[in-house]
Amino acid sequence: MPLKRREFLKASAAAAAAASIGVNLIPGMENKLFADAITWHKSVCRFCGTGCGVMIGKKGDKVVAIKGDLENPINKGHICVKGFFLHKVIYARTRLLYPMIRKNGKFVRVSWDEALDYVAKRFNEIREKYGPDALAFYGSGQAETEETYMANKLFKGCIGTNNMEGNPRLCMASAVGGYLTSLGLDEPAGTYQDIEHAELFLLIGSNTAECHPIIFERIVRHKTKNPNVKIIIIDPRKTPTDQVADLHLFPKPGWDLAVLHAMAYVIIKEGYADLDFIKKHVNFKNNEGKDISFEEFQKFLEDYTPEKAEKISGVPASEIVKAARMFGQARTAMSMWTMGINQRTRGVWANNLIHNLHLLTGKIGVPGSDPFSLTGQPNACGGVREGGGLCHLLPGHRKVTNAKHREEVARVWGVPVSNIQPKPGKHTIAMFEALNEGKIKGIYIMCTNPAQSLPHAQKFWKGLKEQFVVLAESFYPTATSEYADVLLPAAFWAEKEGVYGCTERRSQYMPQVLQPMGEARWDAWILRDLAIRMGFKKEFEKYKTAEDIWNEYISLTKGRDMDLSGATYRRLKKVRGLTWPVPSEDHPGTYKRYVKGDPFFDKLPEEKKKGRRMYFYGKPDGKAVVWARPAKPPAEPTDKDYPFALTTGRVLEHWHTGTMTRAVLELERAVPKAYVEIHPDDAKKLGIANKDMVIVETRRGKLKIEARVIDRPEPGTLFIPWHWKEWLANLLTIDAFDPGSKEPEYKVAAARIYKA
Amino acid sequence: MKHHLVTLFGVFALSILLIGLSFALPEGTQGEQHPDVDFDVSCMECHAEETPDIFSDWQGSKHGFMNFGCYMCHGDGTVDFEIKPSTDKCASCHGGYSVDFSRLNVNSCFDCHPGHTLKLHQ
Repeated sequence: MPLKRREFLKASAAAAAAASIGVNLIPGMENKLFADAITWHKSVCRFCGTGCGVMIGKKGDKVVAIKGDLENPINKGHICVKGFFLHKVIYARTRLLYPMIRKNGKFVRVSWDEALDYVAKRFNEIREKYGPDALAFYGSGQAETEETYMANKLFKGCIGTNNMEGNPRLCMASAVGGYLTSLGLDEPAGTYQDIEHAELFLLIGSNTAECHPIIFERIVRHKTKNPNVKIIIIDPRKTPTDQVADLHLFPKPGWDLAVLHAMAYVIIKEGYADLDFIKKHVNFKNNEGKDISFEEFQKFLEDYTPEKAEKISGVPASEIVKAARMFGQARTAMSMWTMGINQRTRGVWANNLIHNLHLLTGKIGVPGSDPFSLTGQPNACGGVREGGGLCHLLPGHRKVTNAKHREEVARVWGVPVSNIQPKPGKHTIAMFEALNEGKIKGIYIMCTNPAQSLPHAQKFWKGLKEQFVVLAESFYPTATSEYADVLLPAAFWAEKEGVYGCTERRSQYMPQVLQPMGEARWDAWILRDLAIRMGFKKEFEKYKTAEDIWNEYISLTKGRDMDLSGATYRRLKKVRGLTWPVPSEDHPGTYKRYVKGDPFFDKLPEEKKKGRRMYFYGKPDGKAVVWARPAKPPAEPTDKDYPFALTTGRVLEHWHTGTMTRAVLELERAVPKAYVEIHPDDAKKLGIANKDMVIVETRRGKLKIEARVIDRPEPGTLFIPWHWKEWLANLLTIDAFDPGSKEPEYKVAAARIYKA
Repeated sequence: MKHHLVTLFGVFALSILLIGLSFALPEGTQGEQHPDVDFDVSCMECHAEETPDIFSDWQGSKHGFMNFGCYMCHGDGTVDFEIKPSTDKCASCHGGYSVDFSRLNVNSCFDCHPGHTLKLHQ
């Protein structure tokens, strides 16, 4: 980095301040800040998966302010501290402004023509010499749907490799696996509207207050108005979310499956199960997928009585019983979870067991009841899950293994169906291992920072260093740019139009209000022009506008469970998003799936719906599945050599690898560095005082870091926020992954800690 | 419990999350100098030691309860810094409220709502 950190921060702040002016909208106050000269543009926040509406304030050719969108039904004008400073990110000192190619070890500014010709030539050489599977794409849940769609077509449809992944593999894949195996189709049945109808919230593996603050605000608002509303938290660590908790269960990290089973045991034993709902809507299966009876399931649960679960998880049996009774007695219940459940080697199973509680009690398909997964990125659902941006998927919740799906997509893409391989490509960890092994020789990385965000990150630097790496990114430097051969400057939020699809199935349009900084270009056009240079002119030259891409994409969703064919740009520009299915332009969007009002439910034959309030149409008989999954431990349990369970996570003020939030001086000042949280009892035993420098060590690496002695983690647990490359928590995390979802276990690693 | 929740909700509704309208100071309003900033510690860590009374007040306030840090009102301490934050900055978060100062005997939000001990109409 050419600037020292302090100089850099000062320069960054100066640039941001110079670019921004204040506005004053309080009537009667002196209006000295030109509010009337500002034009406001409806958009969507760039950070987490909540999907908050924001208004971009523009004066002249600058974005000068941001405010929450009062008309947006998600956030109703509220924004969190990250969104509050979003406009400053545009003018970050760290924006990548020009294409660059590494020559003799140094990045040299080049023209777009030179950069794209070079990438096209190298990719074609690799493809011809080693075949299409020697190339790969690694994208992002922050990319727009249109951008991911173009990459999907280029790599799966034209180059002919399914080595196409995205960082949602690292955050949401287990939720996908849970929804598919339990309910039959991906993504939640309900929406945020359920919050205001819920009597009980089960927040498990989610620090909602810091990671989804606007959703937390809605929960708090609802609880304030309705004091009977209860909140249960299951998490090995206290967080700010605890301030509203009625009950907190603290399982040992990675051992919470037994707790969920024990809750199910109590729910059935004490008569809280909805036997009529179960009879009409639920099948039971064992871990091998074979049908079992309700009685056999109950017998299975005898291994997970509260007392047995206490021995496994460390949670007192009495508290498990209390939680189960609260869940059973509540008229409605909404579960919410995120990385604490998903980033696990048994993430899919943990998801299944949450669904189990809702299916056993019938707390699903009615207002206020839903197992509702929270998404980490703004377009992980829209662009990657729905858009098919993973190695086994195709657009519109389709699969590469399905011949009909391949034919449908190939026809719209205008490519021979034989181009799309019938076998899934390499999932994220396998992809980066293949880079290490030299089996993949060229990779295009877009809008993400794997050199910092992969688990056991240092293991994968070898491949990034040795193979041909193209990085399309809005910021420089990043941990990944250190390994790139070519840097392509990408337009940032507000400099491009497109669609984001958030946690609640809502797709929202974002306008372009600025010209991209420097020579940055929209990722979709970079991909289009690269494709044309690689020889796919016929397939790509037809795309002239973002709407061209969106229209083609939504045509592929027609008739699919996530039908967006009625969500045209014309509509999306006017409304605050639409929740699919939206099968026609006059359809208002769907609040709940699998019930009356869901267009797919409504058009089912009457004999199928008879006597049933839900029909899970992704399952052959319309019945969801309660799974009897064994309570497996984490991949790396603690032992005498590594007696602590290390877990990683986030803070309110920063996001992911800090590329955006660390460019905002106020946020950087708020939390300027990483630390390790250790319980006071553990610290005392080890002679560690607050602010001591300590070494945290796992079987993979060591990290020198400041200790924060605090009673947030339980004794035996350590916590490190992962946003800083200088204190890279992923040197310590394990790259073991869920065999179903392939999502790594960021949340549990055996560690030891000692004074530096 | 209800009181606790009302308090908590007030913090959320009126501090971090409400009707956000974010801005930075226009050029020319800088000038108040913060002592050299140590970029290895956060604002809060330093002020807990240097100005413990103010820190303690803030920590007990609704702003502190929600970890609504120094930087939101006082700026980053380098380029953007105000010892006494302007009322304009209140509008950044509380822009959803209509306040007609011509009908009041005060000129600033802070005349009624001191930021470090913010209690908001209780």
